[in-house]
Formats: sequence, C-alpha cells, structure tokens
Amino acid sequence: MKAVAIAEVSLRRFFRDRSNIFSVFLFPVILVLLLGSMQGGASNPRLGFNAETPDDLSAGLLDGLEAVDGFVVIEYDTEAATIRAVERGEIEAGLIVPAGFASALQAGGDTELRYVSRAKDGLQGIDTAIRSVVARQSTLLRTARFAEQQGAGSFENALAMAAEAQISLPPVEVVATSSGEPFALAGLGQFDIWSQTTLVLFIFLTTLQGAAALVQSRRYGVTRRMISTPTSVRTVLFGEGLSRLAIALVQGIVVFVGTWLIFGVDWGNPLLALLVLAMFAIVSSGAAMLLGAVASNDQQAGSLGTMFGLGLAALGGAMFPLAALEFLSTTVWRVAHITPHAWALEAFEELVGYNGGFAEIAGFLAILAGYAVVFFALGTWRLRAVLTR
Amino acid sequence: MNSTTLTGFVLECSGIRKKFGDLVAVDGVGFHIAPGETYGLLGPNGAGKTTTISIIAGLLERDAGEVSIAGEVMNPQSTAAKRHVGLVPQDLAIYPDLDARENLRFFGKLYGMRGAELNQRVDEVLEIIELRDRASDRSEEYSGGMKRRLNIGIGLLHRPTLLILDEPTVGVDPQSRNAILESVEQLGEQGMAVLYTTHYMEEAERLCDRIGIIDQGTIRAEGTQQELVQLVGQRDRVRLVATGNLTAGAAALGNLADVDESAVTADGIDLIVKAAHNRLPEILAAATRTGVSVAGVDVDTANLEALFLHLTGRALRE
Ligand SMILES: Nc1ncnc2c1ncn2[C@@H]1O[C@H](COP(=O)(O)OP(=O)(O)O)[C@@H](O)[C@H]1O
Ligand SMILES: [Mg+2]
Repeated sequence: MKAVAIAEVSLRRFFRDRSNIFSVFLFPVILVLLLGSMQGGASNPRLGFNAETPDDLSAGLLDGLEAVDGFVVIEYDTEAATIRAVERGEIEAGLIVPAGFASALQAGGDTELRYVSRAKDGLQGIDTAIRSVVARQSTLLRTARFAEQQGAGSFENALAMAAEAQISLPPVEVVATSSGEPFALAGLGQFDIWSQTTLVLFIFLTTLQGAAALVQSRRYGVTRRMISTPTSVRTVLFGEGLSRLAIALVQGIVVFVGTWLIFGVDWGNPLLALLVLAMFAIVSSGAAMLLGAVASNDQQAGSLGTMFGLGLAALGGAMFPLAALEFLSTTVWRVAHITPHAWALEAFEELVGYNGGFAEIAGFLAILAGYAVVFFALGTWRLRAVLTR
Repeated sequence: MNSTTLTGFVLECSGIRKKFGDLVAVDGVGFHIAPGETYGLLGPNGAGKTTTISIIAGLLERDAGEVSIAGEVMNPQSTAAKRHVGLVPQDLAIYPDLDARENLRFFGKLYGMRGAELNQRVDEVLEIIELRDRASDRSEEYSGGMKRRLNIGIGLLHRPTLLILDEPTVGVDPQSRNAILESVEQLGEQGMAVLYTTHYMEEAERLCDRIGIIDQGTIRAEGTQQELVQLVGQRDRVRLVATGNLTAGAAALGNLADVDESAVTADGIDLIVKAAHNRLPEILAAATRTGVSVAGVDVDTANLEALFLHLTGRALRE
C-alpha cells in the first residue's frame, strides 16, 4: 500500500508538469504514425523468384512477372533461400520453378510451379498476377506443342510462331498450380515485425528516461526521508517503479490499439500481447530504477538512459530484426539474448507468427520476470548503499 | 505513544562510531533521553551532529555502537524502531512541486496513517506550523521560513515518541526562528521527547533540559545547563572585537596570568579569564602591543560558549 502511495505521488508530480501529459501521449502517437509510414514503404509487395535450372521458359516467366505493375520481383539462387525469405517477411511470396521445368513441358507431361506465401498475408494482388502470367505462359506452351504436333517444325520454332499468334488464340488452361502449403509462419508480416521491434525499443527507451524521476527525488532529500519512516528501501523503489510501469503500460496500450485500428497490425491474442507488454514494461521499469539508483544526476541518468535504451535495442534485434543478419550464427543469437528485448521479441513472434498461446510464451515471460527481479534487486541494493553508507 | 524501555528511556545509544574513509566523523558517542525530555547536541559545524542523528534515526549504517528507541533496536532495516521517530533533517526534504497538504498527506501515509485520521492530523499540523492559509500553494513558492516549518511539520505528523530536529533554524529569518523555537518548547511541554542539534548556544540554553557538547565526533561534556556552566568555574568569557594580527594577539594574550584560553574568532579574539574585571586593562594593553586594535569589548559571565572554548580551545562559532 505504501508503494501505491509513492507511485501515486510520483504520477501526480509527473502530470503536474503539463508538458509531460503531452509527451506521454505524443510518444505512442508518433510511434503509430512512424509505423504507418513504414507500412507505406512496404506497400509494393515483393515476390521472390527462383528457377532451379534457368532456361528460356523460366526467363519468359520472369520477364512476364517483371512486366506486371504493382510488385517487385527479386531473384533467389535457391529454393531454400526463397522460402527462408518468405518466412522472415523479407518478401510476401515466392515462386519456385522446379528443375527440368522446360523439358517436362516439352515432353508434354504435367508439371507444377511452386508458389509459397504466408497463409495470412493473403496477397490477392500477387496471386492474381502470378496466375495470369503463368496462364499466358502455359497457353503459349500448349499452343507451341500443338503446332509442333501439327508439323510446324521444332518446338522452338513452334514457340516463336505461337508467340506471334497467341493473342488470337483462346486460353487453354492453367497448368501451374500454386502449392503454397499451409506454412508454419502463420502470419508474421514485415509490418508486424516492425511494429513489435519499434514498440520494444521505445517502451524500454522512454521508461529508462524515468530514472530521472528517482534521481530527482533523491536530490530533494525526499527518498532519504522516506527511509526514515517505517518504509523499506525495497518498497520505495517498488513504488517509484510502479509509477514508471503505469506510464509504460498506457503508452504501450495506445500503440497496440492505434496500430491495430488504423493499420491493422496483428498483435496476436490481445490479452497475451498485453501480458508480454506488461512483463517487458516491468523489466524496463526495473532497469529505470537501477539506473535511477546508480546515476548521480539528471544529465547522467538521461545520457546513460539513451545510451542503454538504444544500445540494448540494437543488440537485442529491436532496431533491425536479427533475422536480417544473413550470418545468423549462434554467437549473434547468444549475444542478442543478453538483452530482455530479444526475449520480448521472441514472445511477440510466437504470439503473432505462430498463433502461440500462453503455454508457448510462458517460458519467455518467466525469463523476462527474471530480468525484472534482477534489476529490482540490484537497484534496491544500490539505492540502500547510496542512502545509508 | 509514550513507549519507553524497561530503563524508562526513549532513546539509549552508546559507543556510536562512524568513519567516512579515513575521517572518523563520530567516535564513541553515547547518551540517553527520558520521556518528555529535550536533549540538545551542541557543537560547531563538522562536529558530527548530523552523522550521529542519522545513525540514531536509522538512516546511516554505523561501524560500531548500539541504538535503541523505545526498546526497539534501531538500524536502517528496522521499521519497528522507525515508527517511534519523527526526523526533521537539516536540509529541506520536501517535494517543491507539491503543496503543503500534499507533502504532509504523502508522508502521513508512509507513517501508516489513513483516511479520516490522516485528514484530521494534517489539518492539525498545518495549524501548528501556521501554513493553513497557504496549504494549497506549491511549497516552492514559500519563503525560507515557511519551507522550514513544513519540513518540521512532516516530522510531527504521527506524534512520534522521539522528535529529532537537526539544526532547524539555520538560514531562517528571526521571526520564523522564534516561531520554530516556540513550537519546540510547546512540544516538549506536551511530553514529546526531543533531540535537538544546534550550533547556537542560545537555542540550546533556551530549549534543552540537558545538553551534550560535541566536538570532533565525541561528547566532551554533558549535563543540565547549570551543571555544565559550573564546569567552567568562576571564569568569564571576554570577547574582543578586533582587527590586526589576531593569531599573534591570541597567542600573546593566552600567556597572560589568569587567561585560561584564547581563540581567534570571525571578528576578533575570545578569551576565558578568571575574574575578568581585574584583568581587562592588562589584556587591552597586551593586545595593543601585539598590533591588534580593539574596537569593542564584551564580557560574559560563564555560559556554554565559554565552556566550549574551555573544553576545546576553540570558539563554538569560528
Ligand atoms: N557522507 C559523508 N562522506 C564523507 N564525509 C562526511 C559525510 N558526512 C559527513 N562527513 C564528514 O563528517 C564530519 C561530521 O559531519 P556532520 O555530522 O555533518 O557534522 P555536523 O552536522 O555537526 O556539522 C565532517 O567532517 C563532515 O565533513
Ligand atoms: Mg549537520
């Protein structure tokens, strides 16, 4: 209860400064807008294209796709690279031309193009475009084979003739079936990832700035005076941290709701997402209290807060997704997971990307709780030393 | 709330010792305070008053010594003992961006007060510290004296068994100072035990039932004002308001017959002299000889300042 009294006074003082009311809500709004602009940048869907054994036919397909407006085609060397890029949200979909595509067609057999996309990202635009290009290409091929059978010379010859005549020929049928199997990554779009990483970065960064509030209380001599009442150092730190947590939660919820309503960002199960946010906000508050106990003045708290706020975010993959590092080695992974950011992002990815439930994120929540306990314990230890030595 | 120990004391402490690095700030301080008693720690700046008080209030770890308050052992973790103490720190410890009522309510809650009891007590305290009219103004807008009074009010909220005041009148205008001293007198009369530190002799003389004279971390003498003054014997304090070579002058005067102590002060030289009225002409002549020009002479019969000079060879206020 005393912690609540301390948190209440801390918030009262915080909001007494009108500019703080503004900035508390300004931050999430800017964040939402920032995310909106990122969505704009990613608005041209990207299609990966991979031909195992490039030939005239696959080249024709590629040309046809590139000629279509409204999406960007990126070539990949291997099928695996294409699929991985889809998984990571680097591209929205991939089209894979299997080895021996041309010869299979020439032999008159049935063959398949493999189309990979994330189920949820339902890219109508790409789907339709691919289907129409493939349909046109297959019509061409069928016509050529038909011409060849009618004695028009070689297949190549017939194909050239067919290309000239195709406009007047009726479409035969679409042979290529898109084989976008139900994918493990249910729906982690590039924009969803950006929303998660940016939220994690900003919550930690802004909450860490709250260390200055504790530094100020200390400077006023009020923190010390609190210790002269029957109130433990732990309770004091907990109370101050509680006020930071409340602010972080409000900000996080504004970001959730804003991005979801305006830009349709998927945060997975809302209650579980809130739980991850809350746990990460607790960790951030703990870090802020540790910093507030260590820093000797406002400026130091501010600059250290910015340094750690940005540094840990970069390290933990909250600035550029870790997956973007092509050399995703275990070392990189280990180093990244020194930060609480990496764990919070994993939890979000589990929620959004794999439709995870509580059981799937419980481990990440427990690890985050561990960070919070460590930060608060170190903060209490440090503050007690500062005040009573 | 008049909890006392088996021995009947509100505060008992002994052998308190505290080092900051190589500096021994407090070296074996011990004393006790009975219920309703006002005890003064009188000593110059840097004597160790604040350090002693911080240890007694459970704000500071000690290197050695015992402190118990109303029978509860006091240390920084001891919330039980802290319940009995109201601390008024030397430096202001209030939120400048909150008003008096908000500051009082906040600390009231930390002392475990709630609801109607808290509201009523906050009103009472606002009355005592005469801040009722300004209770809703931010404390940063207050005068120095008003801030001090609020600082004191916070310590009174929960009607502590022991009220500790650390130099509450430093930097306060004379009117506010008098109001503060009157409040402390009243609290003492109402039966609150008070531990009061000061470097003003007059305050200690006016307020305190017993006084400990502290210097360089140790209590040099202790007793009622009368007991202490008797320690100086039939000696008077002669205060020369003077300019010139004060150091040489003090040394020369210290060698005169019947002059026990001599010390340089901010505006001249202080002397402890047996039967001063007999020795004044000689003192003035000796001063002139050593190149000290005397602008005024002030003779006090024995008091605490004389005692301090006698005990330490230095003036209370340098
Ligand atoms: N936190 C501290 N660190 C180092 N030295 C200190 C600290 N607090 C007090 N001191 C030193 O201890 C001595 C006693 O200080 P203090 O108790 O504040 O004296 P007083 O209150 O009588 O003026 C002084 O020499 C002071 O400089
Ligand atoms: Mg002091």
